[in-house]
Amino acid sequence: MTAPALPVSDTSLRPVGRRRGAFLREILRRPNGAFGIGILAVFTILAILPDVLVGPLQTAVTATGPRLAPPSTEFPFGTDQLGRSILNLTVHATRISMVIGLLATFITVAIGAVLGIVSGYVGGRFDAVLMRVADFFLVLPTFVLAIILTAIIRDALGTGSRELFGIRLSLLVIVVVIGITSWSSAARIIRAQTLSLKERAFVDRARVIGASSGHIMRRHILPNVVNLIVANAVLTFAGAILTETTLSFVGLGDPFQPSWGQLLEAARSTGAPGLGAWWYFVPAGTAVVLVVFAFTLLGNALDDILNPKLQGRR
Amino acid sequence: MSLRYLARRLASAAITILLIVILNFVLFRMMPGSPERILLGRIPNVSGEVVAATRERWGLDKPLFPDQFVAYLAATAQGDLGFSYGARGRPVTDVLLQKLGPTLLLFGLGELIAIVLGLALGAYSGWRRGGVLDHLGNGLSLILYSTPYFLLGMALLLIFATGLGWFPTFGIDTVGRVYSGPLDQIADIGFHLALPLATVALGLVGQYSILMRSSIVETLSEDYITTARAKGLTEGRVLRTHAIPNALLPAVTLIAINLGYVVAGAITVEVVFNWPGLGTLTVDALSSRDFPVLQGVFLLLSVGVVLANLVADLTYGILDPRVRT
Repeated sequence: MTAPALPVSDTSLRPVGRRRGAFLREILRRPNGAFGIGILAVFTILAILPDVLVGPLQTAVTATGPRLAPPSTEFPFGTDQLGRSILNLTVHATRISMVIGLLATFITVAIGAVLGIVSGYVGGRFDAVLMRVADFFLVLPTFVLAIILTAIIRDALGTGSRELFGIRLSLLVIVVVIGITSWSSAARIIRAQTLSLKERAFVDRARVIGASSGHIMRRHILPNVVNLIVANAVLTFAGAILTETTLSFVGLGDPFQPSWGQLLEAARSTGAPGLGAWWYFVPAGTAVVLVVFAFTLLGNALDDILNPKLQGRR
Repeated sequence: MSLRYLARRLASAAITILLIVILNFVLFRMMPGSPERILLGRIPNVSGEVVAATRERWGLDKPLFPDQFVAYLAATAQGDLGFSYGARGRPVTDVLLQKLGPTLLLFGLGELIAIVLGLALGAYSGWRRGGVLDHLGNGLSLILYSTPYFLLGMALLLIFATGLGWFPTFGIDTVGRVYSGPLDQIADIGFHLALPLATVALGLVGQYSILMRSSIVETLSEDYITTARAKGLTEGRVLRTHAIPNALLPAVTLIAINLGYVVAGAITVEVVFNWPGLGTLTVDALSSRDFPVLQGVFLLLSVGVVLANLVADLTYGILDPRVRT
């Protein structure tokens, strides 16, 4: 048995199914948690079933509507300059934005967790150098770095129309770049937790009975920072969606697989705000704000639950 | 503030800037295409001598390390960042300097307004935690924090420029207008500045208020606040003389650290309003793959952020006796 390390891990003795149910109930009990989960549930459905809900993605060829027309009964969100339904585009963009956000979060948190745990556990010069690099990334204007990296990698790969898992390579480049440029805060937080964990008695016990460093990091440290990783991932997700939206807005999106940011870019370059064509960007804009808001609320709720010390402070 | 503290901060800033230059060098060599073509951009009719001179100046016939690297460091230190393709072969430094003014105007003022408003709002809602203004302010701050800066700009543009017609829709001044005097010109620029400035300030105020609020809440639970209350000081006095000064320091440090992240994202506001600054330059350079300019923007912003952090660190050192070591 491992000694409880975090206030939450005493629940680890209960059966897994019940534990997860109790955790979810704990989140839903809080207004911000319930609200966040509710919004995300709606967008998850949109992301899973766009074809069922609004038909296949309209293109310049399959567009049927008038050009840049305001909302009507036939086109509830109006149309764009090519006559495509904005409702259709926005719902399809949900999948692209959410999948890119999810993958980018996964890479960011994976890099952050591995570097954070190893850095904290190994310590010494390795730790000093790595944290110096993390600080460097925290200070950098990472957005401009992300722009340059995306452009360079795309030019070097010559992405064209290749796809991987149904996602165009150009978008996967964005995923990797977000991961490379935003791992540092996750690494810092997880390292701090690792530093305190490695002084605990159960780590000493494992070391005394001859467990290797790798084994201790995997079997003793990692399970105890999982909560922290999850809470961090939720906030990272919000940041990843914002970054992807902004990168697409400056022209790094893919018109063949439009995300919300790509739609906003199309709206701006068509001059929608100046033409009074609010319907072009309000749906995608609202979607971005709602999803990021939901993740932030959920992140705060998780933080409350996982750091009982802070309870009542928010 | 001790000399040692000062020296450590200066050394740390210098190392960070060196790392940025090294990163720029690595990015530069990662790029597809031969380096001299990237440096010379798309200058038409480049003669053989010019190419040879470029290769010589950047040491491109010599090994990558140390020769090319040293040549790159020396050139960067002298402000030689190559030539822009977009601006028909003008030096990158010229292009950057031309765009720096409008960006400094917009973000200097925007940051200032956002910091003052955000800190005040955060301090008040943290003090009156659970009150009406706290709930309202907190919700609004979170929504603003969730909104991409450029989206906020598009909304303001739609409402106040296109819809109500109160402000111009683009640019920094009225094209082709002849000014009757400097005041007239300032008024015109101010008129054009209003909406982008409001966007930057609104976009930043949410996160600064969240930071300050949590800092105040943290501070209010300290023992010295209890002591101050026990001495019979009024709540207002406790807040002004004990809570705010102590809460301000961590909040300001966090603001300085986040500066790079924030400003780099916020430059997209310029694109919405066609503001002729570094943000618009970045997007134009990106679409024409003008790498020397992109790298120049990155270098300029990074160094700016490092210097801002240095100033924040040194101010912190003067204000807080605990960190003077």
